[in-house]
Amino acid sequence: MPTLRVALAGNPNVGKSTLFNALTGARQHVGNWPGKTVMQASGTFQVDGLTVEVIDLPGAYSLSSFSPEEAVARDYIVCEQPDLVVDVVDAANLERNLYLTTQIRETGAPLLLALTMTDLATQRGLCVDCHALSDALGGVPVVPATAQQNGGLAALRTAFQRWATGETRAEAPPPFDPPIEDAITTLAAAIAAQPDLARRYPPRWLAIQLLEGDEELLGLLAAADHAPIAAALAASRDRLRQTYGDDIDLAIAEARYRQARAAVARAVRQPATPVVTFSERVDRVVTHRILGIPIFLALMYLVFNLVQNVSAPYLDWIDGLFSGPLTRRAVALLALLHAPAWITALTVDGIIAGVGSVLVFVPGLLVLYLALALLEDSGYLARAAFVMDRALGALGLHGKSFIPLILGFGCNVPAVYATRTIENRSARVLTGMLIPFMSCSARLPVYVVFGMALFPQNADLVIWAMYLVGIVVAAAAGLVLSRTVFAGAGRGAFVLELPPYRLPSLPTVWWQAWQHTAGFIRKAGTIILAVSVALWLLLNLPWGVSDPRDSAFGQASSTLAPLFAPAGFGTWQAAGALVTGVMAKEVVVSTLAQIYAGQADEPESADTTTVGDDLAGVAGGFGLATVEASKRLLDALTPGVTLFPEEGEPEETVLSQALRTAFTPLAGIAFLLFVLLYVPCVATIGAQAQEFGWRWASLSLVMTLVLPWTVATLVYQAGRLLGAG
Amino acid sequence: MRCTQVPLSDIAVGQSAVIVTLGITGPLRRRLFALGMLTGETITVRRVAPLGDPLELEVKGYRLSLRKAEAGRILVAPRA
Repeated sequence: MPTLRVALAGNPNVGKSTLFNALTGARQHVGNWPGKTVMQASGTFQVDGLTVEVIDLPGAYSLSSFSPEEAVARDYIVCEQPDLVVDVVDAANLERNLYLTTQIRETGAPLLLALTMTDLATQRGLCVDCHALSDALGGVPVVPATAQQNGGLAALRTAFQRWATGETRAEAPPPFDPPIEDAITTLAAAIAAQPDLARRYPPRWLAIQLLEGDEELLGLLAAADHAPIAAALAASRDRLRQTYGDDIDLAIAEARYRQARAAVARAVRQPATPVVTFSERVDRVVTHRILGIPIFLALMYLVFNLVQNVSAPYLDWIDGLFSGPLTRRAVALLALLHAPAWITALTVDGIIAGVGSVLVFVPGLLVLYLALALLEDSGYLARAAFVMDRALGALGLHGKSFIPLILGFGCNVPAVYATRTIENRSARVLTGMLIPFMSCSARLPVYVVFGMALFPQNADLVIWAMYLVGIVVAAAAGLVLSRTVFAGAGRGAFVLELPPYRLPSLPTVWWQAWQHTAGFIRKAGTIILAVSVALWLLLNLPWGVSDPRDSAFGQASSTLAPLFAPAGFGTWQAAGALVTGVMAKEVVVSTLAQIYAGQADEPESADTTTVGDDLAGVAGGFGLATVEASKRLLDALTPGVTLFPEEGEPEETVLSQALRTAFTPLAGIAFLLFVLLYVPCVATIGAQAQEFGWRWASLSLVMTLVLPWTVATLVYQAGRLLGAG
Repeated sequence: MRCTQVPLSDIAVGQSAVIVTLGITGPLRRRLFALGMLTGETITVRRVAPLGDPLELEVKGYRLSLRKAEAGRILVAPRA
């Protein structure tokens, strides 16, 4: 069966992902581009015996090396030679979209145009004639493809089929001005004489890029064998300078836009009077001089409300599932197999508890990503960057930094990966250095337990204060780092399209949110699982140890404990909990519970509950969680909401009694500040190393060890001087 | 009559101007070309962000945001 390899290219915000999802449905594979930190999505579908493999290229305004995304798109089109490039083009913004089209035509790649947003164009009174557009572009086929209307996709599928049978081929693009065209021809001949270059790049295309001055491709000429090309380029530039001065690149860009303008003039009927668009009316409010920032803050507050309220019931459900039925079944199964006690303990306390501790984050993350994907797909996130850029600039950050920072409140790991959208490297790295101070959802259980035990009347206030302190420390760190480590680096230009608002496509939103969540499960899951098994071993070595204090883990913690004495919590228990917290912060609570209460979570004996009972309980629990979540969703969307759901009655647990004996209120605050600010988790450090390199990850590590110790010690000592604690 | 040239950042909200020279070099220059910011193009300043920076511009029928720092390097001729 023949396979057609199709690459989807196009500007950002043109509905490319929506089209990709509509074409390929569930048959997708998502990973990274080899050697790059750019997400690659591919999928397949069938049309009448023809298999079409679709590769979704990153959004690009041009085939340049301006951003990693654009370089990936360019290299794929030019070097991988797909059977067909489908350029997804926004009908409501045709002229600018056609700039990329003219560049793809220069590569000589087989091309087809898919016209999206035709509904939006109609609303604006624009009418695009596909046949006229195709004629104006030298016969490149143009197919309407508004994914929401299925008729559009049928036309696209037919076009793929017709392509596979080899019916349509377009003409070469029109030549540039004669002096430029001469220079291109000369250069292309020199390039064609170098087999290693000519094999990878179409010579004429490479010649154009070199004349435009693409820094990355100019780097190819550094090789000694390529000296003839460098000489030819210098000679051509000298000749062209007489006509164009320093504006050779401008002349090339103008020629492309002339083509685009001519095509628009032939194919688009403009409205007599410009329509005041829906987007413009929304923006008058959303980016209003006075209302803009309050609206942004209110929206972020709403997102967090949703995350806390809607995910909490599912979180309880997952927690119950792992500690109840799953543990029971595993114990029963291992008993059946006559497994030794240590295997049972390792499975239950190490593996199942470890996996559970990863999965409890999934509901919250999924809700957070859904909310952010909704905001992104609707067009609001670009406005948020617009509104916040100036404020973030004071900290050396970029308007686009705020998305990763906000994501950090959910989980630091995906937040670090989300810094990729910032083109400027120093702004990107600085953002990544500040993310650990965003109080992730794993820290909340620690605040809750300590707050309830030590400040039963004011627990909410303590929790709020922690979030606030995190933000203040991040701001201070940003101020300092941008003036020291990153001094003079600049935060890069702010060049951002503000796309028209539109109704988000729900499948696309779901797909994006799920990709992010799945990425978290894969990356964080493996690390947390490995560390929880290792920790279990340390707690149980030397084998048969009964008092945790005598275990390898207890001994190591005792050694560390004196370090924390100036901050008021120099006990081996506190030190041990902080060490395990490096794996994931909510583990701080479970470690303290294990140590203080001796609740070593004895594996429950296989009781009389049947598999059927468990399954019914699990399904029923999920149903109840859904009912509860819907109620809370309604609550959250109505005004007068509270950010934190009631955590139930402050239970008088063994742990809270033990905490009251071990920590004075002042020491408790110092401990919480330490938990807030110290190393978020192994997975975050790993993500930082992968994204920014080990040097930066190490700086972050040092920062998140020194800062929390200093802050906790200062607060404790100052408090003592003032007579507290 | 010789037309006056001013930085794009000096154009008032609601006013239009024609680009005379793009005083920007390197990759950012080609990015702005790709986005339609060419000599001779008419640009309208649509809005200023709540904190006074960046600007929202209309070019080729779509909206583009640029900081005053970069806009200050783009020379334009105001249109009546």
